[in-house]
Amino acid sequence: MNLHRPPLFRTIVPPCAIALALAFALSVSTAHAKPWWIQGNPAHSNDFLAPDVAFRASADADSSLLHLHWVIADGYYLYQHKIVVKGESPGLEVAELTFPKGRVLTDPNFGRQVVYFQQLEASAPYTRNDYGAHPLQIKVTYQGCAVAGLCYPPITKVLFPATSPPLSAPASQTWEAIAIIGGGLGFLLAGFRLRKGRKLATPAAT
Amino acid sequence: MTRTRTATSKPSKRTLIIGSLSILSIALALVLASKITGPRASRTQTPAATLAVNSGNLPGPIATPPNPIPDKLPIFSLADLAGKPTLVSTWAGKSLVLNFWATWCAPCRQEMPLLAVLHQDWAQRNVQVIGIAYDEPEAVKSYAKKYKIPYPVLVGEQDALDVMASLGVQTPAFPFTVFTDNRGEVVALFMGELHRVQADLILAEVALLNTVTTVKAGNLQLNAARKAIAAGLDRKHSS
Repeated sequence: MNLHRPPLFRTIVPPCAIALALAFALSVSTAHAKPWWIQGNPAHSNDFLAPDVAFRASADADSSLLHLHWVIADGYYLYQHKIVVKGESPGLEVAELTFPKGRVLTDPNFGRQVVYFQQLEASAPYTRNDYGAHPLQIKVTYQGCAVAGLCYPPITKVLFPATSPPLSAPASQTWEAIAIIGGGLGFLLAGFRLRKGRKLATPAAT
Repeated sequence: MTRTRTATSKPSKRTLIIGSLSILSIALALVLASKITGPRASRTQTPAATLAVNSGNLPGPIATPPNPIPDKLPIFSLADLAGKPTLVSTWAGKSLVLNFWATWCAPCRQEMPLLAVLHQDWAQRNVQVIGIAYDEPEAVKSYAKKYKIPYPVLVGEQDALDVMASLGVQTPAFPFTVFTDNRGEVVALFMGELHRVQADLILAEVALLNTVTTVKAGNLQLNAARKAIAAGLDRKHSS
């Protein structure tokens, strides 16, 4: 898109975008660093992020693995041992989750705990015996905190992992297009045949 | 000759018409093809989009606006560590520091020594620290025993969250600390880990409020105290 724009626009837009992104990043990073006191100063009521903004969970699945993703806001983290996933749709069994290497926090009460900052991708094998009759449905529980000194109670979400579309779907669409274009070509050829027939017919008429 | 010429010229016109018609038909076919495949592609995407809304994937508001905050501490009852229902009015006439916490909350455990110190240092000035654990009673009991929490602890699950909601907290998070004066007026609500400077600033305002005698002056003073606390905390933070 940018390539077709005049060069002036091209030279102005990227620095502006970078400046805007930087300004946004700075405003975000300073905004959630402070504790939140409700009373007396409403301007500060937004200092900690709402849990669904701090931790954004999503899921998708391929033929054998369930993939869970979390986008974690700057300055927030999720505990590995608090993450639980369960199959909800009929006949869905979800096996144990596999986690990437995380950061280790040493807690005086609970010992070594693995946590994740920024993002987390975990996967678990699954089996289903409903022959694909129901959309996949899972229940995910997770719990996290803000580095600034705040913890959210465990969050439980029902997710519907999007399954990757079967390969036949785009192929059939291509065939449809081919059939339509072929039909058009056939019509064109028929037109030529018609013209040829007329050409032959006219001298016979004389 | 003229006839054949007209005959040959006539088909050439027809060729043009047929040719243009077929080109039109191809164009129509392409448009149709794109129309057929277009909505289908978006139709396969629509469920994913609606599911994203269901699963809370879309960025929501930064924080939900808090419920109205009461001027007076609502009266509530929660179980103590022995399981006995305890009314908060048990401590009527004292300035309260209500600390909502949980055993699984690291910043809550981190601020506990401070709360123990406040409990000791402010006891002569009629300040009472009370812990309110949002947790399983057994976990709280063994934690309180292990770390010898010197102040009374109440325990609750949904009932503890209800108390938080009655204080204006829509989305619960821990630690959360409420400061009242000795008339039960809510002086400050503090979300997040509390530090000594912040606690001292708030308790100084509470002590000031406790010296006010008339109700009308008390109300005016309460707003002034809240403002002073907010401004003071803001200064402490930016410095």
